[in-house]
Amino acid sequence: MSGNQKIPVTILTGFLGSGKTTLLNRILSEEHGKRIAVIENEYGEVGIDQGLVINADEEVFEMSNGCICCTVRGDLIRVLGNLMKRRDKFDYVLVETTGLADPGPVAQTFFMDEEISSEFTLDGIVTLVDAGHIDQQLGRSDESSEQVAFADVLVLNKTDLVSKDALNNLESRLREMNRMTRIIRAEQAKVPIDTVLNLSAFDLDQVLKRRPTFLEPEYPFEWTGVFKVEPGTYELILEEGPDPEMSLVAFYDQGTNEESLKDGAENSVRLYAEDAEILQPENIIPFNKHISLQLQDKGSKKFILEINKPSNIGLFTQHTAEEFDMKLILPSKERDTNEIIDSSAERTWVAEHEHDDEVGSIAIERLGDVDPEKLNSWMGKLLSEKGVDIFRTKGFISYLGNPNRIVFQGVHMLFTAQPDKEWGNEPRRNQLVFIGRNLDEEQMQKDFDKCLV
Amino acid sequence: MSGIDPFTPKGMLHSCWSAQVNDYAIVCGWNHTGQKFLVGGSAGGLYAFDGHSGTSIWEKEDIHDGGLLSMSICTERDIFATSGQDGFVRLWDFDKANEIKSIKIGNGWVEHLKWSPNGELLAVACSRNVYVLNTKGIEIWKSDCHPSTVSAIAWSNNDELATACYGRVSFFDINNNVLNQKLEWQGSLVSMELSPNGDIVACGSQDNSVHFWRRTTGDDAEMTGYPGKPSNLSFDSSGTLLATGGSPTVTVWSFHGDGPEGTIPGELGHHLEPVTSLSFSNKDLLLASGSRDGSVVVSFLKNNGDGDPVGAAFAGDNVSAISWKPDDTALAAVNAKGKVYVWKFEVRTED
Repeated sequence: MSGNQKIPVTILTGFLGSGKTTLLNRILSEEHGKRIAVIENEYGEVGIDQGLVINADEEVFEMSNGCICCTVRGDLIRVLGNLMKRRDKFDYVLVETTGLADPGPVAQTFFMDEEISSEFTLDGIVTLVDAGHIDQQLGRSDESSEQVAFADVLVLNKTDLVSKDALNNLESRLREMNRMTRIIRAEQAKVPIDTVLNLSAFDLDQVLKRRPTFLEPEYPFEWTGVFKVEPGTYELILEEGPDPEMSLVAFYDQGTNEESLKDGAENSVRLYAEDAEILQPENIIPFNKHISLQLQDKGSKKFILEINKPSNIGLFTQHTAEEFDMKLILPSKERDTNEIIDSSAERTWVAEHEHDDEVGSIAIERLGDVDPEKLNSWMGKLLSEKGVDIFRTKGFISYLGNPNRIVFQGVHMLFTAQPDKEWGNEPRRNQLVFIGRNLDEEQMQKDFDKCLV
Repeated sequence: MSGIDPFTPKGMLHSCWSAQVNDYAIVCGWNHTGQKFLVGGSAGGLYAFDGHSGTSIWEKEDIHDGGLLSMSICTERDIFATSGQDGFVRLWDFDKANEIKSIKIGNGWVEHLKWSPNGELLAVACSRNVYVLNTKGIEIWKSDCHPSTVSAIAWSNNDELATACYGRVSFFDINNNVLNQKLEWQGSLVSMELSPNGDIVACGSQDNSVHFWRRTTGDDAEMTGYPGKPSNLSFDSSGTLLATGGSPTVTVWSFHGDGPEGTIPGELGHHLEPVTSLSFSNKDLLLASGSRDGSVVVSFLKNNGDGDPVGAAFAGDNVSAISWKPDDTALAAVNAKGKVYVWKFEVRTED
């Protein structure tokens, strides 16, 4: 049977009531040309409309060695073992787990069992969360944070029942827990099918092709706008937004290409590290300084920008312009109208947030090569000591002397490293993301640095 | 040509007949006289052939909604049983394929069927329960709910049934409804074979090991180091050798003398891909093995588990089941593409 195309499997997790069955029915009713077999562990309030549906009770099988990465789902092995003999009937499998399922054993089943891994490939883990309830669920149960941690795609469902501010906060919280995931907002589980199926999320090579920097450093700001201005007195207008104050740094001569934006970001990071100067509305915004715009007043607030030379000015703001409907205008006394200045470039950044969840992501990004032996012994030690708490690992590494990029992929202690494309002229660098519980970021960064050549 | 010993084959697989069925063939077997041969497909097709010529006797489609899962042919009379995803067990007469009885067992899959050695009782496993039916399809015994889905069943004698599930093997006295023995082991047991005298219980485990117990002494042992899970196990008719799959190599443990604890098993490395089926002949130490790579090999084994191949054939694709004719004069194999092969097996003695 070798040489056969493996059948992709998508795992759907999420608490009861998060909309799994609705999404399932949506997928099944769509014209996508796939014949989908559904393995259902949870018999929800909504029935499944069509397709090949197999009900199976969740059976988690631990092994005598006590190793959690050997824990597999016996029901899936049994059902998939039979399904592989019915390949004429379907070409895709969806597994709907119970709300309380631990995604670890589900994912491990596709790595630990040779018969299953020879016929099936885990395409991705899609987790649905109920935007109205996930905040409380995350506080109450390990399962829900694990489901968020494991997700390749997080569908933030039922967004129509929650305010925009609450959604933004929730999204930040979820992103902080799992920085590899793609977050999709949805009402009634309405998401484009291609955002949940055929993701090849466990094929890191594919993932990196789509998102070459799936890792980005965290910045204390979310947004940059660059504006072309002539000398004059400009006004920065902000409406009511999610925060009573917002940090800002302004620069003259800000370039608009990616490189200049990143340079500007680096300068901003340095300024953001200094204490902010409090600035009330109607006051002048100083350049090259970390300031905190005070936005407690109701309605529109304006701040003044005195421009003394033609330039491109860069504004690095803690929140996005959209969140405060922020505009830069040039008031005109003669005509009694305001000219709105459009930005000539915009850039959003991965914002850093408070660490308040046990589950979180740790990213390590370093230029240069690592010593393969040192890295292996560190990873081996890390995973044997902390493997229980590390849910997923993804990344790529530059091995000293190896012309190819090495891609990493792990679920708990199970780990694979494979050579990927050649580095060529690209600068050699390393990016690793760990998603887990109570991870010591500083220590891990330090240990990784010791592996660098 | 001096210095070269001419190779003298001791036995051979001679092509006898072949046939094609409509779907992935998952089970096969001979009737008790060896005159008829039966093949079951995953979609629920049944195909009966004349054992000598391969001429089709009858065929049936869609006997179980959702697909066929198991088949067991009675070793004493001309009947057999099938079960499927529809939760039904059906009893059939071999001759005309008349359905004797259809029994709804439950809503789950009915995954395992096994006739007792005397052909009087049929054991049935469905989800966490096990049932025993008589030849008329009447339920005469039902187990309590097991802690997990029953993964294998086997008769230790005509009155005692063994069941395997996650973490345990249980022995039930069917007539008196008594749990005779419970053997525990924290692991997912995926296969089970009993030695012919019923004393040794061997189980393949999901953690890539074989665990076995001696019932008389209560001793148990674990054989580790398999690259895959040993889903296939076979005892020879004397109970001396246990052949195990779990990799492209067949590993053979010998219970001769003090073994197999502390002994080195025999290893038969004749396949390129993992072994998918194993079957000792009804007499003597002849082991047939089939593989995912489509190869079928018969090996002649010694008491210590070592052995040499005495015949090999190619069955085209993933071999899903193999079956010796009751008198061991023929071997049959079926594959994932629905191909059926029957070879005459002729053992030649040295002059």
